[in-house]
Amino acid sequence: MHISPETRTSLLFQLSEILQPEQLLSNKEELRPYECDGLSAYKTLPIAVALPDTIQQIQQIMEICCRNNTPVVARGAGTGLSGGAQPHEGGIILGLARFNKILAIDPDNLTARVQPGVRNLAITEAVRQHKLYYAPDPSSQIACSIGGNVAENSGGVHCLKYGLTVHNILALKIVTVEGDLLTIGSNALDNTGYDLLGLFTGSEGMLGIIVEVVVKLTPDAEDTHLLMAAFNDIEQAGNAVASIIANGIIPAGLEMMDKLAISAAEDFAHAGYPRDAEAILLCELDGSTIDVSEQTQKTKKILTEQGASFIKEAPDKTQQAKLWAGRKAAFPAVGRISPDYYCMDGTIPRKHIAKVLKHITKLSTEFDLRVANVFHAGDGNLHPLILYDANKEGELEKAEQFGAEILRLCVKLGGSITGEHGVGNEKIELMCEQFNTEELTIFHAIKAAFDPNGILNPGKAVPSLHRCAELGHMHVHNGELPHPDIPRF
Amino acid sequence: MNNVRTQLQQRVKTAIAEKTPLRICAGNSKECYGNKIKTNHDIDIKPYSGIIHYEPTELCITVRAGTRLAELEAELSKHQQILPFEPPSFTQNATIGGTVATGLSGPRRPYSGAVRDAILGVTIIDGQGEIVRFGGQVMKNVAGYDVSRLMTGAQGTLGILLDISLRLIPKPEHNITYQLPHSQQEALEYFTNTRHSNLPITASCHHKLQTYIRLSGSEKQLDELVKTYDIQTMEDGDDFWRDIRDQQHDFFQRNDKPLWRISCAPAAPLTQQVDIRTLLEWNGAIRWITSNMPANIIQNIAQKANGEAILFRGHVAGINTFKKPEPTLFRLHQRLKRQLDPKGIFNPNRLYEGL
Amino acid sequence: METHIKKELENTIDGKLAKSILRSCVHCGFCNATCPTYQLLGDENDGPRGRIYLIKQLFEGDGSESTEKTRLHLDRCLSCRSCETTCPSGVKYGALLDIGRKLAEDLAPRSREEKKKRKRLQTTLSSPKRFGTLLKAGQLLRPLLPKDTRQKIPKKRLALECPTTIHERKMLILQGCVQPALSPDINTATAIVLDKLGISLIHHKKVKCCGAVSQHLSSEDKAITQIKNNIDAWWDDISNGIEAIITTASGCGVMLKDYPHYLREEGEYLYKAEIVASLSKDISEIIIEENYTSLPIKKTHKLSWHSPCTLQHGQKIIGYVEELLTNTGHTLLPIQDGHICCGSAGTYSILQPELSKQLKHNKLENLTRETPDMIVTANIGCQTHLQQGTEIPVVHWINLFI
Ligand SMILES: Cc1cc2nc3c(=O)[nH]c(=O)nc-3n(C[C@H](O)[C@H](O)[C@H](O)COP(=O)(O)OP(=O)(O)OC[C@H]3O[C@@H](n4cnc5c(N)ncnc54)[C@H](O)[C@@H]3O)c2cc1C
Ligand SMILES: Cc1cc2nc3c(=O)[nH]c(=O)nc-3n(C[C@H](O)[C@H](O)[C@H](O)COP(=O)(O)OP(=O)(O)OC[C@H]3O[C@@H](n4cnc5c(N)ncnc54)[C@H](O)[C@@H]3O)c2cc1C
Ligand code: SF4
Ligand code: SF4
Ligand code: SF4
Repeated sequence: MHISPETRTSLLFQLSEILQPEQLLSNKEELRPYECDGLSAYKTLPIAVALPDTIQQIQQIMEICCRNNTPVVARGAGTGLSGGAQPHEGGIILGLARFNKILAIDPDNLTARVQPGVRNLAITEAVRQHKLYYAPDPSSQIACSIGGNVAENSGGVHCLKYGLTVHNILALKIVTVEGDLLTIGSNALDNTGYDLLGLFTGSEGMLGIIVEVVVKLTPDAEDTHLLMAAFNDIEQAGNAVASIIANGIIPAGLEMMDKLAISAAEDFAHAGYPRDAEAILLCELDGSTIDVSEQTQKTKKILTEQGASFIKEAPDKTQQAKLWAGRKAAFPAVGRISPDYYCMDGTIPRKHIAKVLKHITKLSTEFDLRVANVFHAGDGNLHPLILYDANKEGELEKAEQFGAEILRLCVKLGGSITGEHGVGNEKIELMCEQFNTEELTIFHAIKAAFDPNGILNPGKAVPSLHRCAELGHMHVHNGELPHPDIPRF
Repeated sequence: MNNVRTQLQQRVKTAIAEKTPLRICAGNSKECYGNKIKTNHDIDIKPYSGIIHYEPTELCITVRAGTRLAELEAELSKHQQILPFEPPSFTQNATIGGTVATGLSGPRRPYSGAVRDAILGVTIIDGQGEIVRFGGQVMKNVAGYDVSRLMTGAQGTLGILLDISLRLIPKPEHNITYQLPHSQQEALEYFTNTRHSNLPITASCHHKLQTYIRLSGSEKQLDELVKTYDIQTMEDGDDFWRDIRDQQHDFFQRNDKPLWRISCAPAAPLTQQVDIRTLLEWNGAIRWITSNMPANIIQNIAQKANGEAILFRGHVAGINTFKKPEPTLFRLHQRLKRQLDPKGIFNPNRLYEGL
Repeated sequence: METHIKKELENTIDGKLAKSILRSCVHCGFCNATCPTYQLLGDENDGPRGRIYLIKQLFEGDGSESTEKTRLHLDRCLSCRSCETTCPSGVKYGALLDIGRKLAEDLAPRSREEKKKRKRLQTTLSSPKRFGTLLKAGQLLRPLLPKDTRQKIPKKRLALECPTTIHERKMLILQGCVQPALSPDINTATAIVLDKLGISLIHHKKVKCCGAVSQHLSSEDKAITQIKNNIDAWWDDISNGIEAIITTASGCGVMLKDYPHYLREEGEYLYKAEIVASLSKDISEIIIEENYTSLPIKKTHKLSWHSPCTLQHGQKIIGYVEELLTNTGHTLLPIQDGHICCGSAGTYSILQPELSKQLKHNKLENLTRETPDMIVTANIGCQTHLQQGTEIPVVHWINLFI
């Protein structure tokens, strides 16, 4: 989308009427830091960045952009890893970082009402005094915003037992593309009507702007136990994961790291990970004291049977925090061993973990790029980090091809190209492989119901049918695109 | 089964071509739940039944929509697994398709999630007559919009469910139920306290000055709890919960007054009114009421508690089962419906008049 | 991150350093979460990740894009280095900022007025004598001044008697430039405590300021001269095997430990700077190694501990003072957002009064929530800054050991 200087000036003028000067950035140097999110390989400069601090300003911004047909890309903390918050060259960035207040905590109903820019971890910190916490804990929880979490349906290490974002929110306030303010969901446990709450979760800023979130809080477990098991063989570790679940144990978290990741994480956290192990599993068990001790015994037995070379137990909070700290910072810690990494996010049925890891190793040799594996093993969510050097010509492209190979394999095995990071801009072409034309058509229909002119985060999450056709994935019936009545973006 | 599937698809295509609305029928166990659909064309899902794929170690099952709940649960039970939402089956004929379409969950709901929380993927016949698939068998999947959840509770107004993948949980080794003499107020306070505890509660109810709580877990764990808290367990606990779930309990048997279901924040204060019989479920988040009071009063009670009231059974002049949402929200519903079912053939008006 | 330093800077020492630091940043944004200015302003440009990006532009671009706006966002940085503690990738933000500021200043020079103001600040603050005189005047006039100025002039704290015994064990002490005037009790208390532990302190008159003030005000040449002067003054003692160089203000401590960075282009001095840095110890690092529980502690208190950024993020000394205080019977209250800067940050409170005030307000709210008897800290800057906003005494923790 190209935009003429007059349109730009007129848009900036309209925005400047409702925003303070420091809330509207349009100077190139100040736009630069907004040109990408956590995936810094993909960049675009927006026309402007708006930093509103009231819902009313957001409504006005949406009205203006709707009237001018200006693309709007919402941005939370910009930690997304799929280019979801990457700007549109003809549009504005709607930054929500100023909405960082916790509005109400209701310990009786186990809920908190928060603004969208509140950091995930800040919620837990604020409710800790009531012995509560917010369960979904993406590794980026120190920084990522709850609005971004909802938009990506983020998961984390504790999602195996406590669910993803979608299972832990009760209501949203959204501003529609026309600038209307709507509440969806409620403080009740179920609602009638279409599950718009579910639809909005994971919608990557394509359906509306999230301006308030009611989250569900979880009481602290009476007891928590963490086991770290080391393996000399990565396949054994993969099988141990499947085996724990198959035995009816649902750990609070079940995470895996391979050798390269262990070493990087250890450098940062000094957690005491065994550097010589091929893989480690972190298995957290929680619940009532009796329950935890029973599960611990069972799990230890399984881990030993599956060939763990040693098992370390961390019964107290400080030791546990240390072991988790390394895991949670593992991605950026990899920055210590490689200038750049490309993080993949495929999911597969658990039973295939070992097989896929083996295949990744094979690809790694083929592409001649190292891979560090850090991932949510319990729910089959892989995060191979492909290490590359962006300064070297062609390496990014190579890394991308490598990543695409991995994701194709995930789809083939009944999994998905993304478990929690979203499609964004990055995986858009792979969508054509996971979904056929008719399925993509439904996505476009949903989008059209919320955003008929397609100004919310255009070009993300759902590929246009044309794009898939160009890539050779389009089923064209009788020389005609199906359903010509449905708008395409 | 491919045959049945093709036939169903053909019926839909014909309906689209002829613009004749369809009433989607399965067990008809929930027929009363929702508005009447004015059409003579029924499409029967029952023949499309059976388990497609069940791998207990993956905690996931894929079934055809016409599969009877009873059949499904029997199969799961063989592998010591259950559906997390403990669905009601008002009759033996209730199907999993109907359960997902109505989105109704049973006593376990506050503790292990609703139907929508367990849904992993669906295959549907859409408003163009195409068979399309969303989600899958993995726990985490954020590619594209969450169509599976959108279908849950949509009362069949957006498409016909064919295959459904659901997340399962291990079946607890044991259950015990105990009773406590409580007023409603005391019951609510008790619920609030237990919400903060680590007790393995899997069902809760209050009726006629008694609070009922079900605990589930290993034998050892439950024995320990019985000892610690000096719990008197109820003999026929399992029967009690089945009756509550399937509405066979005395409270639901009287048909003299309309039955309302108020869904609200669990700790919302009570409204004391004459002419009201109440049964609390889900930690207080569901309040069943039978009453002859005017609908607007009941709806106000619900609204005050930040919730909503559904006319679950019985007739009140001018009142539909579900209250229409406010205009902007309703418009969104309409736009979605129009986009996904442009010819308006799936269960028109079932959810809301004009949808 | 992908980085392509422009030709003319590519092979300079700063260019190379910038490149290695920029490349280690993976753009994850974790650091924004603990950045005080990002929390207040919610603009990527006012958080570490954005500042790193702005600096990247300075090194990559042709200069046409970088204006005084870049400089403004860099000026707003407190140099608290909270971001460094948070960064899992080990990005040396402090060093990058330092060279970035220089470049920003070159590309978008300050106005003459602004330069003058900075110059004045620098000469006053970094000379103990001049600062002392001005302060004395201010303290006498305090009751007569308007409230705003009054708040900036701290109340007088009394000096204590210095011990005179000479012990076998000796250490150097950096008295600092503003501390002797503002709170002479700290250095004396240190001397008394160390005396009891059998250590004598040596102070060299020639050593005035660690160099930080000049550094803060981007007057690098001046800073380098001061640093070299200090090294020269200490060198004899160092050659004779002095045990340590003690700092009691963590701001000075971090500066000393960073000497090698500042002298990175200074050949032979770089080597000396490395030795100074390795000998440099915060007073807590010394005491924790000694038999401090034998010290007679008169009275125990309910305390709020404010760990200065220069201590926890700059010197990465975490938990020492807490341990010292708890082991001597004091009660430490839980503090929310303990990692956030108080807003003093050297000359920041004077140059960025708005942000500084806001940070002070938030910090004091967190520190006084549980009504402590006293607030303890480890840096004169924080101490005076915080004292301006509360009636509760703010002291250096070492004072509790005499
Ligand atoms: C080191 C690292 C580790 C990570 N680990 C995990 C992990 O374990 N699990 C996980 O799920 N993710 C993880 N992520 C990814 C990322 O943190 C999450 O996707 C997070 O939810 C993004 O939140 P954000 O606030 O940064 O959103 P942004 O990146 O700013 O935005 C993400 C998307 O949400 C949209 N959006 C943001 N706010 C709103 C709003 N208020 N209304 C509407 N749309 C909005 C944006 O348009 C964009 O499409 C990780 C990222 C990093 C860098
Ligand atoms: C007195 C009474 C009270 C009841 N109370 C409840 C209750 O509280 N909770 C409850 O769950 N049930 C209740 N029911 C019955 C409930 O309606 C059914 O038991 C059951 O849950 C629905 O399953 P079914 O197969 O019978 O669906 P049906 O009753 O056949 O259908 C239910 C709804 O789902 C739609 N539908 C069915 N299959 C599909 C499909 N494959 N694709 C798309 N749409 C489909 C139908 O069009 C209909 O709108 C009650 C029934 C009675 C008689
Ligand atoms: S030094 Fe402090 S103020 Fe500056 S960017 Fe880092 S955290 Fe922010
Ligand atoms: S935390 Fe470190 S790696 Fe991440 S953006 Fe900040 S400086 Fe860069
Ligand atoms: S830190 Fe400040 S007070 Fe201390 S010596 Fe250096 S410049 Fe002077």
